[in-house]
Amino acid sequence: MGMLRIMSRRGDERVVWDLEKVETSDSEAVAAIREAERIFNEERARGATAFRVESGKTLERIEKFDRTAEQIVMVPRVVGG
Amino acid sequence: MLQTLSLFLGIWLLFLLLAIYYLSQAPDGRVGRFRESVSEHLSAESRAKALLREMLSENQYQQLIKFGYLEVISPSIDNRIYRIPGSGGLVKVYERGCAVMELCLQPAEPLPDGDVVVMHKLMIEANEEEYLQKANHFAPGIISLRCQHL
Repeated sequence: MGMLRIMSRRGDERVVWDLEKVETSDSEAVAAIREAERIFNEERARGATAFRVESGKTLERIEKFDRTAEQIVMVPRVVGG
Repeated sequence: MLQTLSLFLGIWLLFLLLAIYYLSQAPDGRVGRFRESVSEHLSAESRAKALLREMLSENQYQQLIKFGYLEVISPSIDNRIYRIPGSGGLVKVYERGCAVMELCLQPAEPLPDGDVVVMHKLMIEANEEEYLQKANHFAPGIISLRCQHL
């Protein structure tokens, strides 16, 4: 299972997909992963930063949507205060 | 005279209760909006807390609860620690235990406090160079001194 978490004023919003089902062309799973990728690209275009977070692995900043990620956390654009 | 006054008071209270009831039921009513806003805020905070618990180790979470800040070790600069406040404010930077600067960096859109802590942690650990480039740097204590004068 993969999860995209987007931070917002309402707390983090989540989109979950099942990679195994995507590989069997399950329509719901394919729709979910497409939605996650669409949101990822939209948020990146707005200046958000994405991090691949996986238990037991080093935290990594990513530029492109990674469907194999266990979890992707997106932080909105930041500015110096 | 007293009976008339009681009657007016009773009618006034009845109207007041009816007004409160209708405001709370109406989707665009002020009380309704206030109630929605409070519930949205609580929900956002509880989601942020859940994310915080997932992203922090038990020790880190306990540090945040007990001391009100989270310390993150610099991944690239020896003996440097970033102290992230749990409820907003500047991030303090320590080297060998001495405060060397304070950093101000905030999300362009408002986030719950817990999410802001996670935001700093992720950026420091995965993208320290850009974090330092984007943040405004202050000498330690300057902002707090200014605030005390205000």
